Amino acid sequence: MTVGADIKQCLATIKSIEAGLSSLAINTNAEDEQRLFHEQMMVIEEIKQDLMKRIGEVEREEEQYKGF
Amino acid sequence: MPGWLEVVVRGVLFLFVLFLTTKILGKKQLSELSFFEYVSGITIGSIAAEVMMGLENNIWHGIIGVAIFAVLPFFVEILSLHSKTVRDVVEGKGTVLIKDGKILEDNLKKEKYTTDELLQLLRGRDVFKVDEVEYAVLEADGKLSVLLKKDNRPLTRKDLDLPSINEKEPHTIVMDGEIFDEKLASAGKNRAWLKGELDKQNVTIENVFLGQVDSSGQLTIDLYDDKIEVPTPQDKPLLLANMKKCQADLELFALATDSEKAKRLYAANAKKLQESMDVLSPHLKG
Repeated sequence: MTVGADIKQCLATIKSIEAGLSSLAINTNAEDEQRLFHEQMMVIEEIKQDLMKRIGEVEREEEQYKGF
Repeated sequence: MPGWLEVVVRGVLFLFVLFLTTKILGKKQLSELSFFEYVSGITIGSIAAEVMMGLENNIWHGIIGVAIFAVLPFFVEILSLHSKTVRDVVEGKGTVLIKDGKILEDNLKKEKYTTDELLQLLRGRDVFKVDEVEYAVLEADGKLSVLLKKDNRPLTRKDLDLPSINEKEPHTIVMDGEIFDEKLASAGKNRAWLKGELDKQNVTIENVFLGQVDSSGQLTIDLYDDKIEVPTPQDKPLLLANMKKCQADLELFALATDSEKAKRLYAANAKKLQESMDVLSPHLKG
């Protein structure tokens, strides 16, 4: 697999983690747990943004990795 | 009235009277914690049995007898609720049998307990070596309460310096295939959610014998059909595994890339993910 594909796969996993945390935050009854899951979801969101930026760079630098 | 019929009538009547009495006296009567509860429990039972079988006894006398042993302890209870002195006299006080790890022989003698009986009580609390006990009290109801030495107490999260987790009680929302809306509401869920969760596990509500939802919103079920294997909820462990995989990937990317800027970006995010994992893992395990 190419580097581009690797990174995109990682991005997909990050997205699934974010969604998982979001659903846990909604489902739990304990308030502090709710807050914790939500906070960590924000952290994952930041990582996601960074990864997306990096994917943009990789695609610009190397034309063959383009496309999702 | 023939004798046998009278026994039946009296039996039913007294069952009803006893039921009412215990309802009025409450749960405390059933626990038999103090002298009054113990004595009235025995006496009420004896009176009921006596009047029921001894047909020559007047039935009303029996009911009066039961009433006395219900009403008097009732008022003593109320009195002892308000006064510590009355409480100490009526309900009795606990006697310290072991203090600072040493057996207090005088107190043991005062309560007329032999060494064997003390050992027996300790064994009942899963203590086989007196050496393990820091403090033990013989309670007013004859049970022994034991405080183990710190070294012998079970390990807790606090001992391991693990972050504290506040877990709420689980709710039983399905019993015998019947949904309890009230419980469902107190768990903060609704029927649509339940249906969704059951569909996910591929079972129908009719097949569910027992369903419980814990504070993190995970549903665990037991089915009538024991041949069907119910999967344990995997959402949380899966999430944790995914985080681990991603973290490893990011570290790998940081090593693989030539660009210095990208290397830093990957490393920073790998670290962020690691920190997030550390915080979340106590909540995602189990």
